[in-house]
Amino acid sequence: MLPVSMTVNGKAVTATVDPRTLLVQYLRDNLRLTGTHVGCDTSQCGACVVHVDGAARKSCTMFAWQAEGAKVTTIEGVANGEKLHPMQEAFREHHGLQCGYCTPGMIMSAIDMVNRKGNDLDDNTIRHELEGNLCRCTGYHNIVKAISAGARAMKG
Amino acid sequence: MSATGIGAAVRRKEDQRFITGKGHYTDDVSRPGQTFAYFVRSPHAHAKLHSIDVKAAAAMPGILAVLTGQDLAGDKIGNLICGWMIHSKDGSPMKMAPHPALAATKVCYVGDPVAVVIAETLAQAKDAAEKIAVDYEVLSAVTDPAKAKSAAQIHDVAPKNTIYEWHLGDSKATDAALAAAKHITRIDLTNNRLVPNAMEPRAALAEYDSGTDSLTLWNTSQNPHVARLVISAFVGMAPEHKLRVIAPDVGGGFGSKIFIYPEEVVCLWAARRVGRPVKWTSDRSEAFLADAHGRDHVTHAEMAFDGDGKITALKVKTIANLGGYMSTFSSSVPTYLYATLLSGQYAIPNIYCEVDAVYTNTVPVDAYRGAGRPEATFVVERLVEVGARELGLDPAELRKRNFIKSFPHQTPVIMAYDAGDYLASLKKAMELADVKGFGRRKRDAARHGKLRGLGYSTYIEACGIAPSQAVGSLGAGVGLWESAEVRVNPTGSVEVLTGCHQHGQGHETTFAQLVSERLGISIDQVSIVHGDTDKVQFGMGTYGSRSGAVGMSAIVKALDKVEAKAKKIAAHVMEAAEGDIEFRDGKFTVAGTDKSMAFGEVALAAYVGHKFPTQEIEPGLKEGAFYDPTNFTFPAGCHICEIEIDQETGETEVVSWTAVDDFGTLINPMIVEGQVHGGIAQGVGQAMIEQTVYDKDGQLLSGSYMDYAMPRAHNFPAFKVDTTETKCPSNPLGIKGCGEAGAIAAPAAVMNAITDALGTEKIEMPATSMAVWRALQTMNRNQVAAE
Amino acid sequence: MAMTMTGEVQLPASRDTVWAKLNDPATLKACIPGCEDLNMLSDHEFEAVAVNKIGPVKAKFKGRVTLSDLDPPNGYKISGQGDGGVAGFAKGGAVVSLTDKDGGTLLTYNVEAQIGGKLAQLGQRLINGAAKKMADQFFENFAAAVKG
Repeated sequence: MLPVSMTVNGKAVTATVDPRTLLVQYLRDNLRLTGTHVGCDTSQCGACVVHVDGAARKSCTMFAWQAEGAKVTTIEGVANGEKLHPMQEAFREHHGLQCGYCTPGMIMSAIDMVNRKGNDLDDNTIRHELEGNLCRCTGYHNIVKAISAGARAMKG
Repeated sequence: MSATGIGAAVRRKEDQRFITGKGHYTDDVSRPGQTFAYFVRSPHAHAKLHSIDVKAAAAMPGILAVLTGQDLAGDKIGNLICGWMIHSKDGSPMKMAPHPALAATKVCYVGDPVAVVIAETLAQAKDAAEKIAVDYEVLSAVTDPAKAKSAAQIHDVAPKNTIYEWHLGDSKATDAALAAAKHITRIDLTNNRLVPNAMEPRAALAEYDSGTDSLTLWNTSQNPHVARLVISAFVGMAPEHKLRVIAPDVGGGFGSKIFIYPEEVVCLWAARRVGRPVKWTSDRSEAFLADAHGRDHVTHAEMAFDGDGKITALKVKTIANLGGYMSTFSSSVPTYLYATLLSGQYAIPNIYCEVDAVYTNTVPVDAYRGAGRPEATFVVERLVEVGARELGLDPAELRKRNFIKSFPHQTPVIMAYDAGDYLASLKKAMELADVKGFGRRKRDAARHGKLRGLGYSTYIEACGIAPSQAVGSLGAGVGLWESAEVRVNPTGSVEVLTGCHQHGQGHETTFAQLVSERLGISIDQVSIVHGDTDKVQFGMGTYGSRSGAVGMSAIVKALDKVEAKAKKIAAHVMEAAEGDIEFRDGKFTVAGTDKSMAFGEVALAAYVGHKFPTQEIEPGLKEGAFYDPTNFTFPAGCHICEIEIDQETGETEVVSWTAVDDFGTLINPMIVEGQVHGGIAQGVGQAMIEQTVYDKDGQLLSGSYMDYAMPRAHNFPAFKVDTTETKCPSNPLGIKGCGEAGAIAAPAAVMNAITDALGTEKIEMPATSMAVWRALQTMNRNQVAAE
Repeated sequence: MAMTMTGEVQLPASRDTVWAKLNDPATLKACIPGCEDLNMLSDHEFEAVAVNKIGPVKAKFKGRVTLSDLDPPNGYKISGQGDGGVAGFAKGGAVVSLTDKDGGTLLTYNVEAQIGGKLAQLGQRLINGAAKKMADQFFENFAAAVKG
């Protein structure tokens, strides 16, 4: 067993975990932050994307102990209190989700995309940047629209 | 139309929880004292099971039980069943082999579960599973449906691995028409096997309450009541009233979560044995082996034309692969959901179809988005396109000549189409797709070394599943009506209980829109309750694009009853004759006066019971209804795909997609568009990249996202989506259903476009860039040889 | 999932020495990559346990290995089946033949192998590389053993 401590959604947390505990398991099972999902076991689907020290990471592909001392943000932590993050708002406004399972990872990847690529994203860039996120419901059409609008909304 | 009523593109109510990470999926549920299940699965496709040594595993730390098929049989847990009886041509019933939840004497596919470990933690369960020794005697395996009849017999009940040899239509008349034809177009097609891959893997959590001797199952199900019925009546797990099935938020289904699977049965059984809650969550590589696959047909088809390009006959022979066992509704998919749609949008006087369903050593095959109808559309639309090329006719023109133009239209294959305007959707799609400008675009592409092709798919489907008597006469084990209950609260808010289940469809919004429209209240005043057998009395669930046409019709019936009763109460309260009460925009008015009561006031009056005779009119305002449709519904439309192929590399790209669909009444056009988008993506995925590969020994080689190509955002252009409208005459709202259209229409449109660009019909799905490159090389070689 | 592989290796020892080492359980145990245990059941049959990793799948294989078509000192066929538990199975054989060459011995091998279960599902794209690597490692070890 291994002690881990990190900051998750602004709160300091500590626990003792089995060394093979993945970050996503730690978030879901220990912290009960079940918004981060597991959609595959080969690091392809992106349902588990969270931010670690401000950058998108697949939380199924790192151990909890690898986030030692890091600042982790999950889907539960992106809204400002009751006020939704502009990217969350954009997904609702543009019907960028259906079953909702891939949505947290999509939103976390989208915010990271804007952080890296800026607020004016063309559709082609968005589609290629979404390489690591799978959705089986939407055909991506409205996800692309949502990210484009969300990116612009994040500017102001 | 009110702001939140029928036809409004209302933003979805359910989104708040999904975008904030507060959805509540099965794996998110945890029960005090829960344990974890891990399944040991066969690595062999076909083998006798001699013995399983679980002693070492049972002695591992944290292990509560290690259970096998022998234990299951010892506890008299029944087999899983297929609930739709199909009879062969010779009148014999289909050959349904026993399907135990854990294999006891033999295994029939790689992934067939043979044992389960129940442990305090998942890691302990996995560690113990390593210690289980299984003695297999490996037998020869078959995966190709075309070879199944001559392969080693898999089940005692099914000689030649044949489940049924079924047919539909008039064989003699069809042969006669073929003999008299001016031209016959012949085609051989493979409809590739697909893995559904809902993003949420299946999961089950079972809990036993010894105090009440009852079981609760949280399950990733599209139809929790059907799950309860089967697990109770056939598996014999517990009486129906002692089993509660809850399907909370479900992350996509596409058919794969309709079926009753071994894992939930085993979790229930194990929970009672160990006296603790038992949870199983599939991982993705397990899902590839444990979730029913889709499609997998091999077909030869012939279409006859007269001298005017009119279709005179269609003859189809299909071999359908149902896998190692018969899944819950598997038998109906290649028969009544397939052959009945072979008339397409066309007036075809003679149709005959034979379907042989076979067992193979592969994962069981059952309904996947569209279920039978994509396969039928693919056959018909490929034939029509190839026929047009062979006859030297424009494919749109050939379609126009053969379209059904008057309704109702009885096809030779059971279905009676009730309404449609196929010319309207074709014309609108051709305009939107700028078919006129295609020649110019093709020339432009050629200048850049690209081949450009255009393909149509004018599809039809039968949805709104389904009239109970009709499906009963065709072998269905259940009726396919839907139920609804409308509960009006004293303060005027409303709860609607529905037997439908949402797993992405947005019922919490669309169903609320119907209530908003009818009762004149805001959708915020309405809650939709579903997915819990303790809350909703009964329901058949969501699949086959049925929830709008059937589920909402049940709500309409219940709302009619609510309105009728509320009028009676309002009449008493306002001291008017019941016949003088009008209800509009949420207000009950005495005709010709200014006396009125708001809906909420009548609701309160109903519960207070002070102002009407409760001996005549019961207090309260709550009504239920069961709605059984009188016909299927027939959504139809036209999809046009344009693709470009790089001649050097074979790289193939969908550059434009146009969809014009007739779904009848649209409740929420935004949601409808989303459904169309998703369907197209699955259809394009099937046509271009998705492929389930077995080796000859039955090993699944495309068993993870590393090898099974899931469509990604860059595989698609933005879609152009529009609609035409003819109301469905058989249900009160005129709804036809929209959930499967894209997946049904798309594969034929893609393949028609690719073959148009290539100038050869010799390419099968999935037409990957590699397959296209090979086709180009073959053509080049043939050309060189010819020169 | 079937695979085949052929190869040859020049060994700095006489054919008789190589033959003896090929039939010596201790040498085989030391040379088989990941071999944890190897017990003779009879002259030409032994039980082995080896831990191997193919792509993302790591498994402990337990199985029986048989030597057949013995033609001392020219070659034999070595075949076996390993049960890797939940990881699946591996089975196959190799025809090994020895010829004199350049004052030493040339060993040629012809392998046919099959994998199943999770190994095939997740490891199939890597199996050829993994098998090649294992064979290389075996013969590297074996060359050292015959020399010393």
